[in-house]
Amino acid sequence: MIRLEGVSREWPEFAIRDVTLEVRDGEYLIIVGPTGAGKTLLLELILGIHHPDKGRIFLDGVDVTDTRPEKRGIGMVYQDYLLFPHLDVTRNMAFGLRYQRNSATENESRVQRTAKLLGIDHLLHRYPSTMSGGEKQRAAIGRALVTEPRVLLLDEPLSALDRRNARRLRKEIQNLHRTQNLTIVHVTHDLAEARAFGGNIALINEGRLKALGNAEDMLRRPSTVFAANFFGCVNIFEAQRSVGSAWVQSGPLTARCDGGGASSFHIVVHPDEVMLLPHTVEDRPNRLRGAVSSLTDEGSYVSVAIDVDGLGDSIVVYTNRHTVSSLGLAPGSPVAADAGENLHVVAE
Amino acid sequence: MNGNAEGPVTGSTVRERLDLNSMFTTLLVLLPFFCVCLLLRMFLLAAVFPVVGFALLVLARPMHRRRPDAAFVAFAAAGSLLVLFLILPILNLLLTTDPSRIVAMARDKEVDAAIGITLSTAMIATMLALAAGVPLGYVLAREQFPGKPIVEGIIDMPVVVPHTIAGIALLFIFGRGGVLGAPIHTYFGILLTDTFWGIVLAMLFVSIPFVVNLSRDGFMSVDPRMEYVARSLGASPISAFLRVTIPLTWRSLLSGAIMAWARAISEFGSIAVIAYYPKTINTLLFEWYNFFGYTYTKPLAALLLIVALAIFIILRTVARTKRTVHTQFQA
Repeated sequence: MIRLEGVSREWPEFAIRDVTLEVRDGEYLIIVGPTGAGKTLLLELILGIHHPDKGRIFLDGVDVTDTRPEKRGIGMVYQDYLLFPHLDVTRNMAFGLRYQRNSATENESRVQRTAKLLGIDHLLHRYPSTMSGGEKQRAAIGRALVTEPRVLLLDEPLSALDRRNARRLRKEIQNLHRTQNLTIVHVTHDLAEARAFGGNIALINEGRLKALGNAEDMLRRPSTVFAANFFGCVNIFEAQRSVGSAWVQSGPLTARCDGGGASSFHIVVHPDEVMLLPHTVEDRPNRLRGAVSSLTDEGSYVSVAIDVDGLGDSIVVYTNRHTVSSLGLAPGSPVAADAGENLHVVAE
Repeated sequence: MNGNAEGPVTGSTVRERLDLNSMFTTLLVLLPFFCVCLLLRMFLLAAVFPVVGFALLVLARPMHRRRPDAAFVAFAAAGSLLVLFLILPILNLLLTTDPSRIVAMARDKEVDAAIGITLSTAMIATMLALAAGVPLGYVLAREQFPGKPIVEGIIDMPVVVPHTIAGIALLFIFGRGGVLGAPIHTYFGILLTDTFWGIVLAMLFVSIPFVVNLSRDGFMSVDPRMEYVARSLGASPISAFLRVTIPLTWRSLLSGAIMAWARAISEFGSIAVIAYYPKTINTLLFEWYNFFGYTYTKPLAALLLIVALAIFIILRTVARTKRTVHTQFQA
């Protein structure tokens, strides 16, 4: 288990500010954030390369803030593999075993076992310069795993790989996590990657922890406008609450809100939670009317932008080709969009 | 209109092979040697180079599928003048000296002693420069601190300070009555003027920049995260340095050592001031030239040139040899 308590550190160009975070044993935590948010530095703080200016870091309940990285038992894998180029895969993987008191046979069988686990046992005598990106990243993960670290830190492990290899390695990492009961902290700037891994997501921006929760909550019910924007919500509307009311309103949209002390409100509508209807349907709450402003075929779905009457803004709805043709949608055609109860209020 | 318009596909084979690569080789390497041989009236030897050049143009597999560009050819021709300027005196010295006199010179006791002194002092100076310069290079590569540009400027200073001035400045500090020279003499019994260690001192002063700068550049080429990974695997900072950083930079360190050593061997100005005796090859040459003149000194100069070039070429080759990558491909 890792626990960060109010960890802060200033660099000339970056900073980590007051991050409090807990990663349970066996958890898969994804840290996301825009480029330059301080994600890698946060990992290096956990690893112990940098010392926090303020705050403490605990590993399995023990304060390791002043413990040197080599004594922490944390594995680190970087995006660009960083295999030792002067050593073959075997010696790369055995690098850390020298610092453990194992017998030579134990070391050898550990390297063999880990290599088999990662499917690189046929590469053991190859040098990194002769290997593909996916192979190198597997070897780098193997090098970290073979020392049986308490926690594995992955810094953008899939970013340097092409899509097919990235997907394969993602599945393998997920498998490893399940079967080896690893605790993994995985940093990425790629939303699709974060979504695909599931687990818990921590959102970091400008060195601060902006939001933390399970992937479903983070993506469907973001707690801040920044999170909503970052996670790709396209329909975010500023809303007002009348004094003493439990409802917020933005044009024709109304939603219940419990946020007592909040001062700013936004209504978020997910584009795939809206149903398109003929413009002749009767009025209902949160049933919007307007004219189609554009249609974009995204391959597996169609993105429809609608200029909504009374909202002063347009809403994007994802639908399928069947709906588009049965409603006869074309730019300019009138249409109704029913959001029903599927509104999410961001109160800050 | 471009160059392709007048060069149809049916051009002669020689013209087709006139690629940039062999043009450059011919102009930059062969032309200067050709000129040197002509100037030295070795006409038979000179004839070899046009033949080799023509063979290269005809037989060499073109590496660039580009038409020779007039500007590049002009640059290469201008460059060949520079190469000529560098090799002419060296080759002249080597080719016009009677080999038997060089051999006789090599048997001379005074010459042997000077060579021995020079090589050993240069070796010690290089070792000292490495011992202190490599750690400094590492610090300069890894750490940012206020005043770093000042430190780097100071390190480069021996390159720009005229060496006789360096010698005089050193003499004030390390001389018999100098602030450091006096206590060193009193407590360690080491005199630094006109001694073996005085030569080492002067050589160290001029060779430090090469070791520090080249090792710094080498360390900068190793991603510090490579060391972080080693740390995460259990390596202490020293262990990470020895098992990862050094194996990845030894070539730079060796280059630095070679440059420092070569610089130490060729040093004369500051040595002449601080330790004229025991005589190094440079002091010996200088003395002979002053007393006996040009003709007498020539075989000695040629001999020393051969020794220096031989060592330099050997070390250079070692430093350049690429690590053989052992690859086992599965059948």
